[in-house]
Amino acid sequence: MRERDQTRKKPFSCVGYSVPRIDALDKVLGRAVYSEDLSFPDMLYGRVLRAGIPHALIEEIDAREAKAMDGVVCVLTAKDVPGINRYGVAFQDQYALAEGKVRYIGDPVALVAAETEEIAKDAIKTIRVRYGKLPVITNPHEALAEGAPRIHDKGNLLLHTKIRKGDVEKGFGEADVVVEDTYKTHVVDHAYLETESGIGMMDKQGNLVIWSANQCPFRDRRQVAVVLGMRENKVRVIRATTGGAFGGKDDVTVEIHIGLLAWATGRPVRLVLDREESFLSQTKRHAIEIWTRWGARRDGKLCAMEGRVLGDTGAYAGLGAFVVKKCGIHLSGPYFIPNIKVDSYSLYTNNIIASAMRGFGVAQAAIAHESQMDELAKRLGINPLNFRLINALDVGLSTATGQVLYEGVGIKATLEKIKEVVLNHPSLQSYWKDLT
Amino acid sequence: MSKEPGKTLLKMKVNGKAVEVMVNPTWTLLRVLREELRLTGTKKGCEQGDCGVCTVIMDGRTVNACLVLALQTESKEIETIEGLGTADQLHPLQKSFIKHGAVQCGFCTPGMLLSAKALLEKNADPTLEEIKRGISGNLCRCTGFVKIIKAIQNVHR
Repeated sequence: MRERDQTRKKPFSCVGYSVPRIDALDKVLGRAVYSEDLSFPDMLYGRVLRAGIPHALIEEIDAREAKAMDGVVCVLTAKDVPGINRYGVAFQDQYALAEGKVRYIGDPVALVAAETEEIAKDAIKTIRVRYGKLPVITNPHEALAEGAPRIHDKGNLLLHTKIRKGDVEKGFGEADVVVEDTYKTHVVDHAYLETESGIGMMDKQGNLVIWSANQCPFRDRRQVAVVLGMRENKVRVIRATTGGAFGGKDDVTVEIHIGLLAWATGRPVRLVLDREESFLSQTKRHAIEIWTRWGARRDGKLCAMEGRVLGDTGAYAGLGAFVVKKCGIHLSGPYFIPNIKVDSYSLYTNNIIASAMRGFGVAQAAIAHESQMDELAKRLGINPLNFRLINALDVGLSTATGQVLYEGVGIKATLEKIKEVVLNHPSLQSYWKDLT
Repeated sequence: MSKEPGKTLLKMKVNGKAVEVMVNPTWTLLRVLREELRLTGTKKGCEQGDCGVCTVIMDGRTVNACLVLALQTESKEIETIEGLGTADQLHPLQKSFIKHGAVQCGFCTPGMLLSAKALLEKNADPTLEEIKRGISGNLCRCTGFVKIIKAIQNVHR
């Protein structure tokens, strides 16, 4: 540890050194405190009843049996929410507890707090909900179709973003080769090893205190306060050591439900999602369908690109509007293209919510732009690595949104380095024989 | 009404100490370690034996504590992360994990360390393939495993 990088001569204590993580010691000893490791006297166990049905009107909720069970301390539904029953980090389109309607299988319909985990699980099973089924939208095409059932009152389109640069018609007019294709990516779960979990209670001064596995305690606190009808400075959200998040704990997960149960019972409440519930109810990486068309000249220069991005953001926005928008913005990849036209659509469906995950829409774009680059290189008879070097962004060139880059553009240096490695590697040379 | 059948006395050894605890026959070893003995270094990830974060050593063999019923551990010897080393006297694997950056979110770390310990006790100088097999029951979602494998390979270097 702390071996000094001799090529640097800077008088820093950390920069330039290899230093151990500040929390590594606690973690190797097993004494780092994750939220489920906390336990308080008199603690209750929370459990969420999920819709289990993708799109339906709630006609009746009968929780009498659950309420009468020994060991059940409270059962909550939408009508018990003391504040405004809405949340969402960017668009407040999500309900702490479903109100009138459910929009995906993981929608929370009721909460239970009980003396033991087993009782909470049993109690949830006794709650009877009568649903009036609605037609289900399973993909963005159905969401956009004329006369499609509306998932939200405002319709199924969350955000349409247009990218316009230069003149694509003129650009394609100059093209010697045009490649057009459609790429579909699928939903991915972050699968952090620690599921969504937390514990919370009202303290003696009337503050609501929540420890949870989260990424943004202050954003979470703002959303908890609104639903609880509390002043924001009476709510504390503390980030416990978190067992992986990767974007999946960017949105509120258990915090509001813990707050509601702790407020309603006056006792500490622990709420931990089991793995199956985590998969079925929490945010995912977007499934995105990308249609795109690219044109290049015989000399290897890209001259035009257009695309249509359909992002399935599921039943609620989360951060989905920005993820899909970013996919569209980055669809031209790290390449300079003078003429670009991209439309991206973030669409509501009755699928599980899609929100932040590592790469934030750019991973999906990369699948499309790199496939396009390979195909164009093949048709032009240019080595794919050289083809990328010809078109790589550089200082002085502009991105898809017209931003001229002034510094810090590393793509050419990266590609040159790859080229160097390939040219010096016997087993790679044959594959890249036209690379010089 | 939830069933609350009578509890049974369980006697076992945990990290070298004799332990007596009243357990419900439906409880797993994981539940007893975490909730009754408050040894929370053993993690809970999937409760179906897939992820390995609850790995502990039972009579010299690694087990998923979520798949072992508490009463199956009667008279057995259990080793958890709390018994591996102390801040003053870290186990060589713990030192190596810190040194090689094999710890990120830390949730797989206790189970990973115990799998590595069990492996090295049987095979002091494992090959890369043997290390991979040795930790194949433990998922890590942060590191991509490379640094963990390096930490195990270089434990005595």
